[in-house]
Amino acid sequence: MENHERSIRLPDNGNKVKAMQQKLLGVAVIAIIFVAWFIAARIISKPLVLPDFVETMQQFFKGWVDSRTMSNLGITLKRVLTGSAYAVLVGTVIGLLMGYSTKVMMAVSPIVNSIRQIPIMAWVPLSIIWFGLGEGPTVFLIFMSAVFPLIINTVSGVTGIDPNYINAARSMGAGTVAIYRDVIIPGTLPSFLTGLRLAVGSGWMSVICAEFIATSKGFGFLMIEAQERMQTSKLYALMIMSAIVGFVIDQLIRLLEKRLTSWRFKNGKAVG
Amino acid sequence: MARLSVDGVTKVFEEKGKEPHVVLENLRFDIEEGQFISLLGPSGCGKTTLLTMMGGFQAPTSGKILLDGVPVEGPSSERGYVFQNYALFPWMTVEKNVAYGMKFSSMSAKEKQEKLKRLIEIAHLQGHEKKYPIQLSGGMQQRAAVARALAGQPKVLLLDEPLGAVDFQMRELMQNELEHMVREAKITVVMVTHDVSESVFLSDRVIVLSSNKGRVVADVPIDLPRPRDRSSEEFDKYVFKLTNLVRRAFQERTDTTF
Repeated sequence: MENHERSIRLPDNGNKVKAMQQKLLGVAVIAIIFVAWFIAARIISKPLVLPDFVETMQQFFKGWVDSRTMSNLGITLKRVLTGSAYAVLVGTVIGLLMGYSTKVMMAVSPIVNSIRQIPIMAWVPLSIIWFGLGEGPTVFLIFMSAVFPLIINTVSGVTGIDPNYINAARSMGAGTVAIYRDVIIPGTLPSFLTGLRLAVGSGWMSVICAEFIATSKGFGFLMIEAQERMQTSKLYALMIMSAIVGFVIDQLIRLLEKRLTSWRFKNGKAVG
Repeated sequence: MARLSVDGVTKVFEEKGKEPHVVLENLRFDIEEGQFISLLGPSGCGKTTLLTMMGGFQAPTSGKILLDGVPVEGPSSERGYVFQNYALFPWMTVEKNVAYGMKFSSMSAKEKQEKLKRLIEIAHLQGHEKKYPIQLSGGMQQRAAVARALAGQPKVLLLDEPLGAVDFQMRELMQNELEHMVREAKITVVMVTHDVSESVFLSDRVIVLSSNKGRVVADVPIDLPRPRDRSSEEFDKYVFKLTNLVRRAFQERTDTTF
């Protein structure tokens, strides 16, 4: 038994070293790009097109302590949170029903599959007509871009559950409610969380687009403002910031994923 | 009265545009209380179909399965079921999986707690209670699945090739453990298997089904003292006899369809 466990752990340590190396490689590539930028900006010397690297970095670090930038970032994040929350609510319910009942699937899937083909930016004019300017259209656009990945992943989660889990639960006396609570929902969770990652990711991407047009607040608005004032270095800085914020959000959801579905990982520490 | 009766069971699978496929036809036998029965036969003889009907996961086309004289309608905790892949809930710890077997029973919380402790002991899973199924070896998973099926105090235990996915070296060890557990629980067992020596090792009686509509080819009581000695001459005789019967059961199909 002990030997068995050791033989599982050993290659895992090897993997850790390998993963570390791969991460370093990623960082190295970013460093190379920055160096190239630094040199190119000096050579081209058109700050409106390619701003000075050092100046951009100054803007970048200033951005994190600048109260106006931060409060606009806060506004944007709040919109993402609100829109995603609505999407989770609606997407999960529709997804669970579609996955569990063939009838609901037949009834709903044509409309779901056609609406999700509409490019997210095509909703902008209509969302302004419906909700005016401000919070309404931005939250709506986040909702629209987040809800479909959630539906699709929830459906595939439900349909991917081994029917024997359901049979097993029934043979132990579980009714419909218990089957949902104890089998379908936990069984769907991994796939749902994948959907959540995609949903919040695309929510974050579309909110910035929406803020270009439909509002005078938020992180996207700051970008448009920087562009209009020809502060290209600030625009670059804001873009880098938005990449980092998106990355952090994604990592947070991955962390949540690992915590909530630790049962999927052989060497993960059992929780609870 | 028999504990479990297969009373004229016929199962026909119909598919559009295809000839109806008769898997089982007018099958009939009784199982006495406390017996360990193996359903042995070539693949495609309908033995697993019969077991799922005993489990209540599908209904016979005609005929009945009776538990203590009452027709089986749908799954119930009276009939514990161990699936071929065990179907342990991967999101529950060993402890919670086993406890789920009695979650819907009328036992008091204290009784459940005591029973859980005893089942974990019987299944030799002490120290592994908080682990998830993925962290268990195949043998531990099997024992956990049997413990879970026993938790609800079923009248019969239905085992669908419980060792089908296990490699040869582990198999004998797990057969010993399985015997130990069901002996301890003093329960009626129906096991589906295609492994002749496994059926001789574990069963009081082996029923051989044919590929041809699941006809009962032979009904062989295994009259050997337990625990059984796999290397004894008598054991070999049973294995030899049953191997021939299974071969014949397979040929029945070849005779009739070709």
